[in-house]
Amino acid sequence: MATLMISESSDEARNELSLQIDESGQLFVVTDDAVPVRLRQCFPWSEPHRHLSLRDASEREIALVDDPAALDDRSRGAIERALAIAGFVLEVTRVLEIDEEVEIRQWSVETASGPRSFQTHLDDWPRVLPDGALLIRDVAGDLYKLAAPNTLDRKTRDLLWAFVDL
Amino acid sequence: MDQEIITRYIGQPARLPRELRARIEHACSGSSIQLYALADLDHTLRLSESWLALTADHVALARRDESGEWRVRVTNRGQIDGVQETPALSAHTLSLLGEPGDPPLLVVRYTHRQRGAFENIRFVLDEALNGRAVVAEDDVADRVYAAAVARPVRDAQALVAGGGRQSRVIFRLLRYLLPYRRELALGLAAASVITLISLAPPYIAGFLIDRVVRPAQDGALPRGTASHMAWIAIAAMAALYLVRQLAAHIRLRYMAVLGEYVARDLRSELYEHIQRLSLSFFSRKKTGSLITRVTADTDRLWEFIAFGVVDVSLSLVMLIGLGGVLLTLDWRLGLIMTVPVPLLCWLIYWHGESLNASFIRAWRKWSRVTDVLSDTIPGIRVVKAFNQEQREIERFSERNEDVTEQFNEVHRKWTTFWPLLMLAVHTTTVLVWAMAVPRLLGHGAVLSAGVFVSFLLYTTMFVAPIEVIGQMARTINRATSSAHRVFEVLDSEPEVRDDAEPIRLEPVQGRVSFENVTFAYDGVRQILRGITFDVVPGELIGLVGPSGGGKSTVVNLIARFYDPTGGAVRIDGIDLRHVDSGHYREQIGMVLQDPYLFHGTVLENIRYAMPQATSGTVIAAAKAANAHDFICKLAQGYDTIVGERGHTLSGGERQRISIARAVLHDPRILILDEATSSVDTETERQIQEALDRLIADRTVFAIAHRLSTLRRASRLFVIEKGRLAEAGTHQELLAVEGGIYKRLYELQLQLV
Repeated sequence: MATLMISESSDEARNELSLQIDESGQLFVVTDDAVPVRLRQCFPWSEPHRHLSLRDASEREIALVDDPAALDDRSRGAIERALAIAGFVLEVTRVLEIDEEVEIRQWSVETASGPRSFQTHLDDWPRVLPDGALLIRDVAGDLYKLAAPNTLDRKTRDLLWAFVDL
Repeated sequence: MDQEIITRYIGQPARLPRELRARIEHACSGSSIQLYALADLDHTLRLSESWLALTADHVALARRDESGEWRVRVTNRGQIDGVQETPALSAHTLSLLGEPGDPPLLVVRYTHRQRGAFENIRFVLDEALNGRAVVAEDDVADRVYAAAVARPVRDAQALVAGGGRQSRVIFRLLRYLLPYRRELALGLAAASVITLISLAPPYIAGFLIDRVVRPAQDGALPRGTASHMAWIAIAAMAALYLVRQLAAHIRLRYMAVLGEYVARDLRSELYEHIQRLSLSFFSRKKTGSLITRVTADTDRLWEFIAFGVVDVSLSLVMLIGLGGVLLTLDWRLGLIMTVPVPLLCWLIYWHGESLNASFIRAWRKWSRVTDVLSDTIPGIRVVKAFNQEQREIERFSERNEDVTEQFNEVHRKWTTFWPLLMLAVHTTTVLVWAMAVPRLLGHGAVLSAGVFVSFLLYTTMFVAPIEVIGQMARTINRATSSAHRVFEVLDSEPEVRDDAEPIRLEPVQGRVSFENVTFAYDGVRQILRGITFDVVPGELIGLVGPSGGGKSTVVNLIARFYDPTGGAVRIDGIDLRHVDSGHYREQIGMVLQDPYLFHGTVLENIRYAMPQATSGTVIAAAKAANAHDFICKLAQGYDTIVGERGHTLSGGERQRISIARAVLHDPRILILDEATSSVDTETERQIQEALDRLIADRTVFAIAHRLSTLRRASRLFVIEKGRLAEAGTHQELLAVEGGIYKRLYELQLQLV
């Protein structure tokens, strides 16, 4: 099966790909039957809402959606919900404390999902994303995003000063 | 320790709460929980706490309802038709699938942190679906959960036994001083003498002015007597300085040597312990990090023991002593000098802390500079090929400017702070003058000129101990960090341990038996699943099969780098766990895909395991390995330095030296791990010829991807997905229709 490319908003494009999502968040490409697919963002930081690769269980690309706007309303709704899960990272709203210990740095933060503590290697630095947001990866591999670091509270900015150029 | 890590760092339960566990087991008809994991995201992707638990027959999900009460939902494992994990950036989803077309039986979401624990559950369910039951041992659930959750922190940080509290680590470090009590006592006594003597000259100066100079000037003391007293005082001062410097010599000598002894002891203990540790430890820790622990960290501890311990303790004594002396000399002036001391110490501490943030910032920017270097210097061919030199120069310049600016900011801070601090010290001195001068002139309480001079001299001695005390926290932190890294290694236990009275196999005959051997590196995910075979002495066994199937694990178990988690590996009928592993390994040999040569001569490398071997036997071994000719072509022959920083040899040449090493070692069991996979055809022919000589009369296990190299094998074992899938001779296996070996062989023929 060749990869389906959805890149423009037209009736033809809308009819080409039909998507649905179930209650558990599983996305399906609906053809004769519903094929479960997982969504991969080609550019999770530079273009998170475009160029979305839909892959089956064996990681074969079923469709590449360049622009979800090209999809019909139902499919677009489904892909946007799947995108919320696939692109989820913990969004930091406040940094409470940063402590250095032997070989690790201990962070206590408030996130949009709740309070969290995590650890980074001493020589791991926050990454500046193309939109100016900051991305921190902890030792377990979880990602923490500070969407607009300059707008955060004073204490957070003071604590972050050593780690980023705000 | 894993549970301690979770409690201290991760902020989630270190185990399934006891009451909830009882409720889940009750809901699962009394079955005990084999594994569990914490799902820390709810369906709206908020951080929450739900538990997924696995029993022999059920999967249970415990979630809190709106009132905060736990609700347990139980699914019969028989209903599960599939298990699907959907990874994402930070929110992973595990779905237990039922009948096709039906909604999932259960869906949970969790962050990366919980992934290891969920993978364990997924593995067991997957295995069950494939008809392979994984029976977890009793009471492993807590341990497996804690190990999976704590692993990233444990691997990232140097953790020591007993929680690693700073005071405990320092006391443990100081215990290394016990064997050197005499030197320590001498060093401390000498340091105390220095401190006490330092207090004397200002007192003598005051005494001279008040009791000798002024009475002599006023005519109250005869000139001759005054001169005599003055000379005694000067002689006393000279003697004190002489004793002081002698004490300084003793202190420096004894403490430096003592620190060196302690560092030597730590290095030796560390290196000996590293040699005893199992391979799993080395797979967790980077080589560079281990080398740093043996070198830089022990060096830093030397510095701490030789100077830090004494400097800090004597500075405290000095400050207390000075305070006491000043208050005794004149309590009014003494208060002016001593009251600001805690504030000055705190200011130095505060300055260190605030500089720390600047140093981190500078360190981050410095790493941006080194990133460019480590990118572009090894990749210079790519840079040039794409004509990107100018871009890389600009990238480097921008970062170089940035880091320079940051370092200049650090310099601006400290060059501002220290003059200001000294201004504060001088301000107190001026205050002392302001308070003292009227009294010297007869207003207020009496103050003699001698006391005042003594006082002024004492005030100059305040700065150094204040500086040491202010930086005490940093000194101790640095030493504790190094001690942590050293003690972490010392606290690691080797996973392969010999019995108290191990059996010595003299000599090994070469019979190797696997009896239903299972093995899991992490205790759960099995790499080998019930492998059984019996190899008689002298057989050549070819181990073939897809990558990751378990071939290397089989040879690792034969070499006893690990012990099996189930079943037994027997050598000549004896369970390998009861064998003296050091003596046993003297009788096995290994030729690896990427042979390692130590820094040293070719001769030293060949006789690495037999240092007493004669030159003649070394040459014979090299000839057998087809290495003699190329070695003789080297300008310095067998005396050529190879290995790190030595003469560069090709892969085939290094391989033949390693074969010569194995020939000389004359092992009873030989392991060849992809010995010819990375060389050209002609070199392969030479190596194969050498190997043919080497394998004669030994039990040999050879791993090879090029199946053609194993045609001479007595038997071939096809290892796939941790199982012995096929066994037989080349011809027998080719005759198996649809067999794995036949498929692999035909695939390779097509490629040729």
